Amino acid sequence: MTDETKKKLEDKIIGLVKEYAGKKRFKPIDIVKEMEKEFAAEGVSKEDIKGALKEIMDDGKLVYGYAGGSFLALPE
Amino acid sequence: MPEEVKKKRITDVGPHDYHDYLSPMIKKNYGKWAYHEILDPGTMVHIAENGDKLYTVRMGSPRLVSSSFVRDICDMADKYCGGYLRFTTRNNVEFLLEDEKNVEPLKKDLDKLGYNVGGIGNIVANIVHTQGWVHCHTSASDASGVVKSVMDELYEYFVEEKLPSKVRIAFACCLNMCGSVASSDIAILGTHRKPPKINHERLVNLCEVPSTIAACPTNSIRPEMVGDKKSVRVNEETCVFCGSCYTVCPAMPIADAENDGLSIWVGGKVSNARTKPTFSKLVVPFIPNEPPRWGKAVQAVKTILEAYKKGAEPGERVIEWIERIGWSRFFKITGFEFTKYHVDDFRLAEATMNYSSHARF
Amino acid sequence: MGKKHETPLLDELKKGKWISFVKEMERAAEKSERTEDLLGQVEESYRDKITHWKHGGMAGVKGYGAGMVGRFSEFPEKYPGVKECHSIRLNQTSGFFYNSDVLRKLADIADQHAGGLFNFHGSTGDIQILGLTQADAEDLFQKSAELGFDLGGSGSDLRTPSCCVGPARCEFANYDTLQICYDLTHAFQDELHRPSFNYKFKMKFSGCANDCVAAASRSDLAFIGTWQDNIKINQNEVKNYVKKFNVQKYVLDKCPTKCMWFEGENLVIDDSNCVKCMHCINEMPRALKSGDQKGLSILIGAKAPLVTGPRMGMMLIPFYDVHEDSKNDYEWLKGLISNMWEFWDEYGVSRERIGELIARVGLVTFLEGIGLEPTIDMVKEPRSNPFIKFEDEEAGAE
Repeated sequence: MTDETKKKLEDKIIGLVKEYAGKKRFKPIDIVKEMEKEFAAEGVSKEDIKGALKEIMDDGKLVYGYAGGSFLALPE
Repeated sequence: MPEEVKKKRITDVGPHDYHDYLSPMIKKNYGKWAYHEILDPGTMVHIAENGDKLYTVRMGSPRLVSSSFVRDICDMADKYCGGYLRFTTRNNVEFLLEDEKNVEPLKKDLDKLGYNVGGIGNIVANIVHTQGWVHCHTSASDASGVVKSVMDELYEYFVEEKLPSKVRIAFACCLNMCGSVASSDIAILGTHRKPPKINHERLVNLCEVPSTIAACPTNSIRPEMVGDKKSVRVNEETCVFCGSCYTVCPAMPIADAENDGLSIWVGGKVSNARTKPTFSKLVVPFIPNEPPRWGKAVQAVKTILEAYKKGAEPGERVIEWIERIGWSRFFKITGFEFTKYHVDDFRLAEATMNYSSHARF
Repeated sequence: MGKKHETPLLDELKKGKWISFVKEMERAAEKSERTEDLLGQVEESYRDKITHWKHGGMAGVKGYGAGMVGRFSEFPEKYPGVKECHSIRLNQTSGFFYNSDVLRKLADIADQHAGGLFNFHGSTGDIQILGLTQADAEDLFQKSAELGFDLGGSGSDLRTPSCCVGPARCEFANYDTLQICYDLTHAFQDELHRPSFNYKFKMKFSGCANDCVAAASRSDLAFIGTWQDNIKINQNEVKNYVKKFNVQKYVLDKCPTKCMWFEGENLVIDDSNCVKCMHCINEMPRALKSGDQKGLSILIGAKAPLVTGPRMGMMLIPFYDVHEDSKNDYEWLKGLISNMWEFWDEYGVSRERIGELIARVGLVTFLEGIGLEPTIDMVKEPRSNPFIKFEDEEAGAE
């Protein structure tokens, strides 16, 4: 995965969570499935997406929420 | 985050290596224990193939303990067993002694500090339990208070071997069952009896409607517009008050001071010894919350325990005794009422019917 | 020292012989204003007969989605010390072994960064420290990590695996529960700290069928020690037991398959009919020992009632040669677990445990999905209804 694709992937993930904030709670697995479809042409793997998610969380751009199950949320 | 700070952070190191906390005798005889003997309800000895003897002194704990408690047990471990100790899955503390001479002095010291030594053999084991009002937002009752009240009443059975076999009691403060209630000889379960109260104002902001609907085991939740707000409706005819929806949707609180309480279950078993593992079955559908001592619930547990003590043959666990004498006689002996609530009407209900002409009169 | 809050109801729970959690909370409150307020709020719950913790609110350490549970008071003005009263889970050691040195250090951490209160241990197995705020979290986490104690699981992740005392102090252990628990916990750190499953997933390791960690009733994947060959009999020790108690009545007659009997003074066992239930070995530990071909059975799908009812673990793999696989870092097992998780990712829905998924799609579909063949030990008995879905090619071949 190129740095450019990675940046695009990260933006897409954060954008999706932002767009659906308060409407839909994405589990990490939902994101992985969405992004696998979205970035199929770029050859992005499941592991790439998981790695991108980890970096996003480590940077605090998204956080984990919990309500009976875990989901991705915007930091408060 | 600055790069150098990021690097210094420790993550993903996993649990500490247990080898660091194994005593020299345990390391030496790891996997080479020959047999064990229970010396009294507070003490057992494990004998290794080479003849080494490791003494275990077991002490009860309320699970919720202070840092001072932790330092107390550390002092004892330093004084008598080289600082080595462990906990059991049922929240007991075990001191691991290599010198038999230290066993009695340790027990005396523990007694002086007010700690309870016991819990080994055919006893009432320490109660595994949940957080209750001390730390949980979904609880239908307190946990620690009920457990303390039951253990006070059954104390003699923790410190003396007076039962046909071991009896494991568990407590969980709601149907999430963080405690091992589903498979315990006697189980106490926090129980709601009213449907959730929906806060339509807040629901749209706090909850995701599809997952709230999916949380219901009886499909009793439907989406509904309330005014201009997206919300849900609960079919109170079919709601079973489990609180699963509240877990995913904070706008559906189910706790209710007047209607919450406890139910009592019996006959669960985890071990495969002799008979297969079983779930606990309903005995008392509802007992109101009676803080601080939960008198009726404590009495119900004691009634079951004493009937078991009187009726079971040596070596029989509670479920083996009940299956031998039959459920109808169990209800007769204990005096609990069999009601419509005892007849299963959930997913596997059919499997619990009596497909035979067998009956006891 | 005067009490900050009067607690007449809780004071009733200081009476009696069993160790009192209220006294423990008071001991912690001597050093912690937070725990003083906690006592006040719990007393209020005792009076009102209802919990006073709010639902919701975020808490956690950066990068992890697990290990810390957020708890906020309904009455932050009245009990400012528990406005935030979170708990943090530290991954316990295998077999819950510690020494005084490390426990003292953890006690210091709990005093310094939380309410001086612990659960030894939580229901899943973690050490829990209670009464921290979000501001405490990073320091508490890092100081614990420096001691070699990482956080445990919570939420939709691999929950902290847990094991029995095993070969460290039990003659019944058929495999090294401590080692495999430690190894798999380390191997699956990412799955533990970063919740990415449909719901929780638990693993527990018991050395024999006595199942002291309740693996088969409490964990999605239960590992129960067993053996394939014959029970080893020491006839002299059998004779000693016969002198001590009624072996016929309490051992032989209680054998679930009646696979043992006396021929003269010698005990004989038909091991081909033994189900490795442990009863006879429990009763006569000096005379009987499990065989040499030790390993474990893997049971799948146990869970508590929510959402679709409680489930007991069901047999998935009757015999897994853990000793052989341990030589390859449990490569086969790790592959199998990964296959299960992939199947669950693909076909499971939100908050569906793997046992519920298997019930929904059918055991055979699940087995095909993870690459296992059905075997007779997986069922209690063959089907008794004729609603068989024959596959096309088989019907066509006739």
